[in-house]
Amino acid sequence: MTELVAYLISGIALGSSFALIGSGLVVVHRVTRVVNFAQGSVAIVGGMTSATLLNGLLPHGLGEIAAVVLCGVLGVLVGLLAIGRRGTPPLISLIVTLGASMLVSAAIIWLWGQDPVTPPGLEGSVTVLGAEVERQRLLVVAATGVAFAALTLFFSRSYLGKGLTASASNPFAARMVGIDVRKMGLLAFGLAGILGGLAGVLIAPSNPLSFYSDLPLVLSGFAAAVFGGLTSPLRTLFGGLGLGVAGQLTAGYLNGSYQTEMALLLMLVIMIIRSRALVQEEVK
Amino acid sequence: MDRVNPRNVLVVVAAVAGCVAPFVMGDLTFLMRMLLAAIVVTGLSLLMGYAGQASLGQGAFVAVGAVTVAVGTTRWGLPPLLVLVAAPIVAGAFAALVGVPLLRLRGHYLAFGTLALLLMVQTAMSTLDFLGGAFGISGIPAFGVGGSVFTDQRPYVLLALGLLALVLFVTHRIVDSRFGRGIRALAGSETAAESAGVPVMRGKLVIFALSAMYAGLAGGLSAFFTPYVSPDSFPALESFTYVIMAVVGGLGTLWGGVVGAVLVSTLLQVLNLVSSQPQLPPTLGPILQYATYGGLLVVALLFMPGGIVPTVQSAAARAVSRRGGAGRT
Repeated sequence: MTELVAYLISGIALGSSFALIGSGLVVVHRVTRVVNFAQGSVAIVGGMTSATLLNGLLPHGLGEIAAVVLCGVLGVLVGLLAIGRRGTPPLISLIVTLGASMLVSAAIIWLWGQDPVTPPGLEGSVTVLGAEVERQRLLVVAATGVAFAALTLFFSRSYLGKGLTASASNPFAARMVGIDVRKMGLLAFGLAGILGGLAGVLIAPSNPLSFYSDLPLVLSGFAAAVFGGLTSPLRTLFGGLGLGVAGQLTAGYLNGSYQTEMALLLMLVIMIIRSRALVQEEVK
Repeated sequence: MDRVNPRNVLVVVAAVAGCVAPFVMGDLTFLMRMLLAAIVVTGLSLLMGYAGQASLGQGAFVAVGAVTVAVGTTRWGLPPLLVLVAAPIVAGAFAALVGVPLLRLRGHYLAFGTLALLLMVQTAMSTLDFLGGAFGISGIPAFGVGGSVFTDQRPYVLLALGLLALVLFVTHRIVDSRFGRGIRALAGSETAAESAGVPVMRGKLVIFALSAMYAGLAGGLSAFFTPYVSPDSFPALESFTYVIMAVVGGLGTLWGGVVGAVLVSTLLQVLNLVSSQPQLPPTLGPILQYATYGGLLVVALLFMPGGIVPTVQSAAARAVSRRGGAGRT
């Protein structure tokens, strides 16, 4: 029982980071129809920047926030490459962001080297229902909850958020009422950078990140986003949590090395089952 | 015959250069890897350019071909020629099998689906002892037919050249056929192609399997050449490199794959030589590699979206017509 609780909580914590990265993919895809492959690399930059800043430059809190803001800027830069040139088809933009993620990898190796980096996080652990849980994992869950609440409020209440939703649901009509759809696309990329950076800052203390982590991160984010049909942040949250828990249960009861494969297999199954609906969304 | 087609001249030059290179170059590993990449990328370019389907995990099929050779020779003691012929067939059959569910996906979903496939193939290779397990399969015998056995690198390179020529010929014939025109139609609009009577799903499946056969052939040959196969032999970055080569060379052109493979391989080799100078830091190599990959992709896609071959072709056509026009007046 305690074992199960421990797996569940660590699964939810892991799934939260999938959901954050995945919601970044969703935010960009909704507005621009582009899947941003660099989302994983941006998360790594977030984790590594916070490690550098917290190493004597800034106190806890400020260091993390500065790292997340930097990731937002990085997200906009990636967006400029991907959609800056008019008329780039979405699939080509995907490959451009693949190129951007390689450029970011080069920068990561240049600035931080090839070894995994881990910033200091919350120390110690607490007992939940008899299971010992690291406090950092609880922080990940709490921060993800706050981030999704803020995201929902942003989309439903703020002027900018409504502009983003308008550009997503009907770019032509949005342009008619004076919304600059391209600027909205860049804003979405910036928002995705912030979400990815947040994920990186949160998971790096318990899972050291290196430039190699980009692929697992973006794949798990995409797997979570597939549950939301690449359009719904909320369903992405549930998808991420489900994937995280399924992965941890697989790792706990079967074999640790099948954890990623479990997520990939679930992703493939969902994509293929829903292929008809997904294709229609793609065509729209 | 009053005018020589410049394209034919280029093809002859490329063929002569390809045949001379194995006899003048010292280390043939680089040349061999380039030729193998060219075979894979020709298939990928066919898939991406003509059928409009992106694969980020083409290495999965290279791995299947290599494992076929490794298992066939070391576990079952089959003759090398037989397993080399089997490698593309097994890879193609595997692609046809996984393609049935996978090709229901399109665009981004297919790109990520193929990437997931590659990672799952890697896991299968590292967990199943029969496929080599974590240590891989070593001790693959040298390739040979009957009594004659390949003892150095040169015959491998010549064999790869011959197989590349075969792959290009097959591709040319397919693209020019009725089937090939149907494939190009479905890349434009699947609905329109379907209503014009093109069997869309079957067409995509055939091209997917064919590109996997090319990849499996290259994988099988590389298993003989290396002679060692492990899950780490097929990193995702390698599959991304194929995409870069295909895009840089020009999607949907016969020669794009070859041109992309030659240019990108040569560029990387030069960078490798530069960054392996002893006084430079060891991280410079990977930094340059990633920066080159990323820079090439971004620059090629944004400023030369058609790739090198179509760009050069249209420029050459313009130059020829200008000169021809001037000469006649």
